[in-house]
Order: sequence, then structure tokens, then C-alpha cells
Amino acid sequence: MTNHRPTVKRLIFSILLLSLFSLGNRLFAQDGKALFQTNCASCHSPFKQIIGPALKGAVDRIPDKNLLHDWVRNNTKVLASGNPYFTGLYNQFKVPMNTFPSMTNGEIDAIFKYVEAAQPPPPPGPGNTVDNKEQESDNTLLYGILTLILAIIMFVLLQVNSSLKKLSDDKEGIPAAEPVPFYRNKAYIAMLILVVFVAGGYLVVEGAIGLGRQQGYQPEQPIFYSHKVHAGINQISCLYCHSNAMDSRHATVPPLNVCMNCHAAINDYTKGPQLYREDGSKVDGTAEIQKLYSYTGFDPKTNSYNLANAKPVQWTKIHNLPDHVFFSHAQHTKAGQVQCQTCHGPIQEMDEVRQFAPLSMGWCINCHRTTKVNFPDSSGNGNKFYSIYERFHKDLKNGTMDSVTVENIGGTECQKCHY
Amino acid sequence: MKKVIILSSIVVGITTFISCGGVQRDPGRVYMPDMGYSRAYETYATTEEQKAELLKQGIHFSNTPVPGTIKRGELFPFLLTKDAAGDTTNYHASREVKNPLTSMDTVEAERLYLVNCAICHGPKLDGNGPLYKGGDGPFPSKPATLVGDARYEAMPEGQMYYSVTYGKNKMGSYASQLSTMRRWMVIVYIKSKQAAAHPAGASAGSSSSASADSTAKK
Repeated sequence: MTNHRPTVKRLIFSILLLSLFSLGNRLFAQDGKALFQTNCASCHSPFKQIIGPALKGAVDRIPDKNLLHDWVRNNTKVLASGNPYFTGLYNQFKVPMNTFPSMTNGEIDAIFKYVEAAQPPPPPGPGNTVDNKEQESDNTLLYGILTLILAIIMFVLLQVNSSLKKLSDDKEGIPAAEPVPFYRNKAYIAMLILVVFVAGGYLVVEGAIGLGRQQGYQPEQPIFYSHKVHAGINQISCLYCHSNAMDSRHATVPPLNVCMNCHAAINDYTKGPQLYREDGSKVDGTAEIQKLYSYTGFDPKTNSYNLANAKPVQWTKIHNLPDHVFFSHAQHTKAGQVQCQTCHGPIQEMDEVRQFAPLSMGWCINCHRTTKVNFPDSSGNGNKFYSIYERFHKDLKNGTMDSVTVENIGGTECQKCHY
Repeated sequence: MKKVIILSSIVVGITTFISCGGVQRDPGRVYMPDMGYSRAYETYATTEEQKAELLKQGIHFSNTPVPGTIKRGELFPFLLTKDAAGDTTNYHASREVKNPLTSMDTVEAERLYLVNCAICHGPKLDGNGPLYKGGDGPFPSKPATLVGDARYEAMPEGQMYYSVTYGKNKMGSYASQLSTMRRWMVIVYIKSKQAAAHPAGASAGSSSSASADSTAKK
């Protein structure tokens, strides 16, 4: 019995030690992620070259652990000592790495442990994305078939009716009139003329009104730029790119340097859902980002621009107001506080932009008639500019008016938009 | 039965005509296109090739203002130029540049920050905006933690301004999106948030005079 005691003790001790060791390992892995994100992630990614090299495999590239520790803590010292590998790295990237003198060996090892264990995200495929295309069902065909069936039933019943009438006429001895073929039947001809007149008139009027209107226009653009991915999934504000919408008549199509604010670093499309064109064909997001690089002359490998290759993207303009109409984005978004979506529709859900509003004069005027102006109230909230409308303020106070619309302050005057 | 065939074919025809929706890739017809589309060269409607074509005809056309133009009510421009690659002279020199704003509209400054910066640096200035999302977003490198990282809290406002104007590491230049004054407003906003995170006033002498003054500029 006494002989066994040391063995048991040793066993328990070693189990404890082992569990502590494995627990410590797990702590390291967690710490590694946090440490990596606070200290390294600004310049390094495990899989991608950003400002510095991709870190995955660094442990294999630098087998000497002490050298790696020294490099992370104070890279200038290692460079000064003339290490050929690191000198080569420095010449490749030309950006000196920050020094981390207070980092311990354990922390550095934890970081590299996390880096080695990190897995790149799977590419978007039909397997791991929900296909939204299938859910949109169209009821038009169903209605068409129903109409057809009802029409056939109607004509069968009409036939039955006339046959029965003929039978009863025969029975009662009333001589049957010579049957008139339907194309000479005056009732049928009158009906047909009426239908053609009404339908033709409707189509002509609609067509004439629709001249120059482009509601639903959805052209193919030189780059498949998805507003859904940018403004919807990634929550980029409309004003980030269309930065002049609050200051200018134009919302402005952003210059390509605005795209490159992010896309100098984001050079593949791996984390979003599979993209489709309106005709159902698949879009390769990474290839579309490559198109942007071809327009800007950017080379993601060397991280440099060759401006000789740069050329403007000739986007297709979708919304076109006739030349005789004045419209200012600034007036609507800044003074009127109108949301982008009021006129442009659910733009954050559109892969390809479609003209949502008819942009007809009736549409403009309707909105001007119903939209309330942000009149300053007694507590001073609201647009102070409108304080010059003294009569409306009086009427509001008296209760003869409950709100002031754009029409009241001259929003339907011809000269507001046509001059 | 002839009747039935003819009428049903009419019905089928109308149904297919109505159901012909699909994608509208064509803008449609315009009555009098010279009233529909501007004859003048509108902003963004002219490309470099078209400009070169106009120049051949002797039409001098430029849609960029003369260099050195200052907008009315705008601050004087930032005089330090962008460093060449690998050089940091002006980046270090920018430490001495002081914030020229004496007062500003803080609500507007917050809006500008949220529109232009929060997408990466986070609405809480924690360097974790929707584009990074703790490493799950599409942006591969970690944006700077503006509040909570001593490096950025100690950074002089002039150097921040240099970075916003010319870009730093993976951040691009914001000079085309934010005017001189707006860039300063954003920086004053960031500095005021950093100062608010350390109420004892421990931040390295960088809390600006304008951050205390919250009166709206008229």
C-alpha cells in the first residue's frame, strides 16, 4: 500500500500538469487572436499580403525562434545586424515594421500559434449561400391561364345556350333564322370595334406619356457594382461615395480614388453571397474588382499605380431629367431632409440599380403637395429659414392651418423648376 | 369551334403581351432628344477622350478649378505636400500644424465622422467598424483604434490631419470627399472623444481648444 502512494501521487501530479498545460495552450490560442488583432492586424493578415507579408507559414520560413522573437520586438536591431532574409523583406515592402519591445516570448508564440491555426474563409458558392432568385414567383402566368379557362367556359356556355334555343325553337315550330356567321354578326363587330378603340386609345396615350420616361430602366454597367453588397450588407452610408449629395446639384458618381480607399486592401470577393445578374447569370465578384484595378491602373501585387493605364469608367447614366427641368440634390437632402430611398427606392437591396421612380412631373408635384415643410416650432426646432413666412406662422398659431406643405411655400410654381 | 380557337388565341396573345416584363435594359424612346438630354456638357457627362476631341475643335474646356482655388468660407489649404514613397519628412513636420478651427458645429462633425470614418474605425471609435467586424468583415487589416490606443491618443492633430489628407498605410486620402474644414472638424471630433474617454485630462496635451467650444457656427 505504501509502495503505491508515490506512483499515485506522481500520476495525479502529472495529470494536473498535463491539464494545466493544455489549458494554458487554449488560453494562448485565445490570447493570440486578441494580441494579433491589437498589434499586428493593421498591417498583417494570416493569408494576404497587406502592408507587410502574409504571416501564415512565417514560423516555417524563420526556423530560428529566437531570431523571430528578436525581430518582432525590435526589427531595427535585426536589420542592423544584416540578416539576409529580413533585409530582403525590408527591400520588398519598404515600410519599416513597428517595434514591440514589451512583448514577451509567450505572447509572440501565441500570436504565431493563432496565425498558423487560422483558416481562410470559404469562397462563395451555391452550397453556403441562400439563393434568393428562386423565391420570387410570378403570378402573371397563373392569372393568364385562369382567364383563358374562364373564357373557354364562357364560350362553351354560349354555344350550349344557342343550341338549346335552337332545339326549343324547333320544338315550338318557330322557323329558325338563317344562322349568321360570327364575323358578320353586328353585335360581335360592334363589341370588337369598341374593344379595339378603347385598348388602342389606352395604349397610344400610355405610349405617348411614356416617351422620355424610363421607370424601371436597369442598364448593364461597365463594372458589376452591387449597391446591395456595399450599402446593404456592408452598411456603407450613401453619402460616403455620393459625398456631394448634400452640397451640390449632383449627388456625384464617386471618382475611383474613393473606391480605392477600401479596394486597395479588399482585392477579392469571398465573404458575401453569390451575386447574380438580372438575367440569372453568375457574377464573379473578384473579377469585377480586377476590372476596377484595370481602370485605375492599380497593381495589387506591388501595391502601386501605373497612371498610364488608368482610364475613366464610363458608367451608364440611369436617371435623366429632361434638360428643361432643374433639380438639386442639395435642396432635397439638406433642406428637405428627404431620404435617398424616397426617390431611388430600396437601393440597398439592388444588385443592379433600377430606376425606381417615374421622374414624371406628376410624380414631382404629388410629392410637393403632400410633403410637409420642417417649419420651426415654438421651441425653436426646425429649419430657421422658414421663419420669414410670417403669415403661415400666424395661421399655424391660429389653427387655420395644421401644417405647411412644399406647395404652400411655392413648390408648385412653374418657375421653381423650369427657368 | 372555329370561334373558340380564334378567341382563345386572342386571349393568349393579350396575356403574353401583358406578362412581357423582364429586365429593362433599354432607356426607351425620347420625344425631342435635344430637350431630353442636355446639349451643354454636364458634369460627369464628358470623358477625357471627349475633352481631347473638343480641344481639337479649339474648345477649351476644363471642369477642374484652377490650382490653389479656395472656396468661399473655406479655410486656408494645408501647405505640407505629400511625402514621396519611403520618405517621412512632411509626415513628421505635420506634428507642428495646429487646428485652425475656433468653433464648430459638433452635430455636423459627428455626422461627418459617422458617414466617412465610422465604416472602418467604428461608430464608437474602437477600430471595429462594419467593414472590419472583428476580422469577419471584408477589410483585411485592422483599422486604427482611435479611442483606447495610446498611440493614436498621443498623436498630434496635425499628424492626423496629414493622414486624413494624404492617406496612411491602407487608408486612402479623404481630400476628395471632405473639404479642408470638414477634415479638421472630424479630427476635432475624434480628439474630443479621446479627451472624453480620459476625463482626468491625461491625454498628451492634444485636446484642442475647439473641442470645448460646442457652439454651432453661424
